[in-house]
Amino acid sequence: MAGARGILLKHLRVKVQAFPQNPKPNNGLFGLSFNAILRQFSEAVRGSFLDKSEVTDRVVNCVKNLQKVEASKQVTTNAHFQSDLGLDSLDTVEIVMALEEEFGFEIPDNEADKINSISLAVDFIASHPQAK
Amino acid sequence: MLSFLRRSYLNFSFMNPQYCCLSRNFSAALPPLLPVQLPSRMETHLWYVVPDEVKSAPLLSKYMELLPQSERDHVLGFRGDQLQKSALLARTLVRTTIARYQVDGHLDPRSLRFKRNIHGKPEVEWETKDGFCPPPLQFNISHTSSLVACGVTINSLIGIDVEEKRRRTKNNILAFAKRYFTAHEVEHLNAIPDSELQQQEFIKLWTLKEAYVKALGKGFSSSPFNTFTIRASSGIAVETLDSPQNLTNNWQFALLELMGSHYVAICLERQETGGAGKTLPIKLTARKTIPFVEDELVSGTNAVVTIGGSVTQF
Repeated sequence: MAGARGILLKHLRVKVQAFPQNPKPNNGLFGLSFNAILRQFSEAVRGSFLDKSEVTDRVVNCVKNLQKVEASKQVTTNAHFQSDLGLDSLDTVEIVMALEEEFGFEIPDNEADKINSISLAVDFIASHPQAK
Repeated sequence: MLSFLRRSYLNFSFMNPQYCCLSRNFSAALPPLLPVQLPSRMETHLWYVVPDEVKSAPLLSKYMELLPQSERDHVLGFRGDQLQKSALLARTLVRTTIARYQVDGHLDPRSLRFKRNIHGKPEVEWETKDGFCPPPLQFNISHTSSLVACGVTINSLIGIDVEEKRRRTKNNILAFAKRYFTAHEVEHLNAIPDSELQQQEFIKLWTLKEAYVKALGKGFSSSPFNTFTIRASSGIAVETLDSPQNLTNNWQFALLELMGSHYVAICLERQETGGAGKTLPIKLTARKTIPFVEDELVSGTNAVVTIGGSVTQF
């Protein structure tokens, strides 16, 4: 059953076209492939998202710059602010402020409250279309 | 230093010959804690530990033994000796402090259970026994790497926050205050010409605001810092931007300078007024402790200086 399904799916696979940078105006939307139409709509609606690994590097740098701490504290990508880095509530607020400056958007207090690790910061920023 | 803790509470350190001489004092049961009377309704007790003064590895090992498994795991979940020691001392201070009050005849810190309220604020979970009415004991704890403090009252909600006087922020103070504090507080800080004094005022404000939110016990997002102003001109008071819910004259504050190196902010639910709406000063008893080793009454000495709020030290 699974085998037949696999073969069927292979036959039904849709060809993916690269999203045209400058769609020809006289063709309008109908000149684009189905996938391209979907992406154009969703980008218009959601804005664009930053790449996660780029966000991670930038977040790690923000935290490193803020670190009041000994070189022995390694800021790893899964570091937890309190239990790994020994940061307190004032430090965490400073980090949020640094992230706001770095990524150019305001992080509301109730969201900021939940950000207490590098990965939570990355997830939050990477899912925010306003992040630059 | 603390890495041996993993071994030592599994096979007691006093069994190990290399620790025998060090642990001579602690090879038997720990000496009893100095019992203390519960604070009266008008009193606040402040207890604190200076981590740098607690160096004995066997003693730290004994502290670890006071904790239930879940709390030990929590301590060991911190990365590195310093953070683990700080976390251990925080749990030890809470347990030993509350145990001293010998509620219902109990003096064993091990037997205490804790729970969190719906907002996450820690509370004692007293045993429910026939005829036993638990005291309305309130406590709150705060720590930095260089100080661990616990405040205790009967009945009054309490929040405390400690901070090193010389704490520096990475961000510019005014930029930080504009983002997180209220306009009045920004104005207050802006008016301070000396940058060193401005830094200190900032830290004082921060600790007072933290203490208030911790006293409320509803979590930080329920009272963002820019929704209430701490006014510290004559006496210290809090003013919320939207008053209906919290009657702001419900809260009293004290700001102390501890050992010349730390600010301690205490926020208490006001219990009684002295008639005609006048507030009675906070009656404070402060003790420095190394649990099971020494306790020192420090209120009224140079170690504890009142720098804000109305406080009488006993």
